[in-house]
Amino acid sequence: MLTLKTHLYTSFIIYWDIQTIALAGIVILMVCLLSFMLLYMLVKASHEKKHTHWRLISDSLIHKAVFDDDDRIDEEFIQMTLGTINLKKNKYFRKLLTGEIISAKKNITGAAAENLIYLYRLLNLDKYAIKNLNNLRWYVRARAIHELTTMQISGLVDHLHLFTNDSNEYVRMEAQSALVQFNGFEGLSFLDTVAYPISDWQQIKLLQLLSLLPPSTFDTAPWFQSENSTVVVFALKLARNYNRFEQHDAIAKCLDHSEPKVRLEAILCLNEIYTDETSDHLIGRFLKESLKHQLAMIRVMQTLGTERDILFLTDLLNHESDQLKLDAARALVNASKNGMASLEAYSKQSEQDITEIVMHIKREMSV
Amino acid sequence: MKILVAEDDQLMVKMLEFRLKKDGHEVVITQDGRAAVAKLSEFKPDLVITDIMMPYLSGLEVVSAVKKKYPTGTPVIILSGMGQENVVLEAFQLGADDFMTKPFSPNELSVRVHRFDLTLAK
Amino acid sequence: MSWQTFLLHAFTYGILVYSMILLTFYLLIGSFSILETRSYLHKNSFTDYRMLASSSEAPTMTILAPAYNEGPTIIENVRSLLSLHYNNLDVIIINDGSKDDTLEQLIKAYDLYKADFYVTQLIKTKTVKGIYRSHNPVYRKLTVIDKENGGKADALNVGINIARSDYFVCIDVDCVLEQDAILKLAKPFMETSTHRVIAAGGVVRVANSCEIEGGRLVKVHLPKKFLPRIQTLEYIRAFLLSRMAWTRLNGLLLISGAFGAFDREIVIACGGYHTDTVGEDMELVVRMRRYMEEREEPYKVGFIPDPLCWTEAPSSYRILGRQRNRWTRGTIETLRSHKKMFFNPNYGILGMLSYPYWFFFEFLAPIIEFLGTLGIIIYFFTYAINWSAVVIMIIVICIGILYSIFAILMEVLTYNQYKQRKDILKLVLVAILEPFIFHPFVVWSAVLGNISLLRKQNSWGEMTRQGFATDKKSR
Repeated sequence: MLTLKTHLYTSFIIYWDIQTIALAGIVILMVCLLSFMLLYMLVKASHEKKHTHWRLISDSLIHKAVFDDDDRIDEEFIQMTLGTINLKKNKYFRKLLTGEIISAKKNITGAAAENLIYLYRLLNLDKYAIKNLNNLRWYVRARAIHELTTMQISGLVDHLHLFTNDSNEYVRMEAQSALVQFNGFEGLSFLDTVAYPISDWQQIKLLQLLSLLPPSTFDTAPWFQSENSTVVVFALKLARNYNRFEQHDAIAKCLDHSEPKVRLEAILCLNEIYTDETSDHLIGRFLKESLKHQLAMIRVMQTLGTERDILFLTDLLNHESDQLKLDAARALVNASKNGMASLEAYSKQSEQDITEIVMHIKREMSV
Repeated sequence: MKILVAEDDQLMVKMLEFRLKKDGHEVVITQDGRAAVAKLSEFKPDLVITDIMMPYLSGLEVVSAVKKKYPTGTPVIILSGMGQENVVLEAFQLGADDFMTKPFSPNELSVRVHRFDLTLAK
Repeated sequence: MSWQTFLLHAFTYGILVYSMILLTFYLLIGSFSILETRSYLHKNSFTDYRMLASSSEAPTMTILAPAYNEGPTIIENVRSLLSLHYNNLDVIIINDGSKDDTLEQLIKAYDLYKADFYVTQLIKTKTVKGIYRSHNPVYRKLTVIDKENGGKADALNVGINIARSDYFVCIDVDCVLEQDAILKLAKPFMETSTHRVIAAGGVVRVANSCEIEGGRLVKVHLPKKFLPRIQTLEYIRAFLLSRMAWTRLNGLLLISGAFGAFDREIVIACGGYHTDTVGEDMELVVRMRRYMEEREEPYKVGFIPDPLCWTEAPSSYRILGRQRNRWTRGTIETLRSHKKMFFNPNYGILGMLSYPYWFFFEFLAPIIEFLGTLGIIIYFFTYAINWSAVVIMIIVICIGILYSIFAILMEVLTYNQYKQRKDILKLVLVAILEPFIFHPFVVWSAVLGNISLLRKQNSWGEMTRQGFATDKKSR
């Protein structure tokens, strides 16, 4: 018992050294973190007062620009409002003011928007943004592009074209959006060269920007041949949104594309752009596709199916997937004038019980 | 004219309020759909301007509430985001009278409101 | 060397090594979390969610909200779900055999009628009694399902069967969501074209003492009571640090059942939620990841750190204990049914890092802590105070406090939901108290979870009726 106790004592001393160091280290770290946090909160609180003041100033500048469209904002008013704030030196105020101008600009159009742009240029804020285009940090570059685009500072378009293939995704996205906003449908020319994928998000954004423009002619055909499958997908979306009927055959060809996403988009595209041959293309491809794509195909058949497709669709009422059965029945009803009657007739003579499906479709049609 | 505005974006609210008051209208601002519907009986507006996406009750519900309360009078102007055609169509089915797409010009708003003012005067 | 001393040495060294590995993990999680949060915040500053809100090109989403005896609050909750910002959004409420008037209230408030509906059985579920739709076109996005009671997993499966969207979002119906919650949660699915995003998780925050009005969060307050307050810290730590870091590594295993979005096609291919586990949320994510790994398709699980979902945390020890007991059983059941992946290089990060981390630091940690403390106490009574073990214990506790303080710092630097300095200091105080007051209870609940699982006492099994949100209700 005694030996154990002495042993305990020595081991206590050995452990103690390493352990004290460890413990002291952790406690020091803890104190450091805590004091950093306190300091941060104190600094922030003291800034808060200044910020409120700054916000009032930038608000009154923006108010004048947006609300008072009979009386243009001038240097004198700006100097008076800014007071002692030095725009050149005060980076924080500049950031705050720029941010507020941008968000205001996004909300309005017309004369008030022109006034905001006028204010922005009068304050020379565009100079700072242009300088930031070459910043090393990607988010500074991307923000600069975004800012210049929102404030419609054209004249940099050629320069921005280089950024559409930038290795940073966000710089790329902002540059692509900028081109479309400045050059309209012509701005889409970056699709010819872009090597990086265009995300779904970016595609939605581009389509939205285009939807604000008056429709115009553009040639989607070369993009269908692109090596970049996301460009093909985007071209299909364009063709669908802008009713490019002359592209029907090129779109139908995309049903055989090696990339599943392209095939799915082609199916969806045919829902808007179809001829009397379209359903043959779909039926020809049907068995080679996954269930997800088959479902999409049958949903398209609801739009474009005709009496010729009745046999094919009736066969599908025996499909193992319940979802597909329902969609096929719906397509069948839409395929001919007395579709509902023939579906009900089938329901009676078939061994399969599809009464629930019939009821479901009847309810949908009555709404 | 008495105008009830339902809009949750602060900047838009400021702009609408400023512009409409400048045009000589009496304006009540509500920040969400529920507040707008609650204000209907008390304020008895001649025109309602409502955003579509709002807290508590959507603009569509505001439209149907207004049309239920005043089946003939009180026109509704819908403010919608860009590319929301299907929602605008739905709003029209529920009885909305006009729509504007954000972002929009304050001057345009002024003109559209004025048009309803004229029809009311008749 | 006597066997006692050998045992003593093995014991102390073992604990020392374990705590050093834990510290390393904390450091790694901290740094990965900083990296991921920074990059998220930068990216987010370029995102115009308004554009997505109104787009008809956005992917279709369906909210699945199972409801069990939610009568008093269901109308308001559904209303706030219907006013969420997202164009292509449907809302499905699944009444899981409630014993109260949940369904009747819904029918009355939303002018519902029983619709003829062909229910597809993509995943096998309990019987659906009826599908309800609204006469009022304003509520055309709403579907209410009435089904036989079968628990949360079964209710969600019915919802998955009936939804026709690309993605579904499962939520607890009593959660309070921010207006842009769906927009933010939908974004990860559109961001990448090289990987398939199979699921995206969101942050859950503690809503106790917050001002809530008409199903909407009006003002954030730090919980007044001690238990919810300490859980606030816990949630910040788990979501802002741990899940963020695991997302960076693409090794996230758990998406909270209270708020997460999933790729419907993959979920169906995997067979939906398993109804025979109490940890169905974690089990599904692990199974989906495993499915993708086995098919060798590149995939990701996303995570959104913005505070989007607020929920009432248990404020009594009894309910909290039951919740933790259940979480423990859920973890063990999940780990057990996927044990094939344990240190299996075929499963990449999932097998080599995520799974082992969960095994050693989520499943084993409470057991080791419990045995360690027990060991020290027994040693004290038989021999004397084992100083080295006590010091190691103090070190471990300090590491824990350090980690908590780091989490609070991250919160202050990023979302800063608790604006008053006083509140932050209260959180720090809670961080220091936690290891002594709260943590032992959590460990004990976890040990009880282990015991009840060992005894095969599946408490759900004993109940004829299953209520899934009952242990969260504290009001």
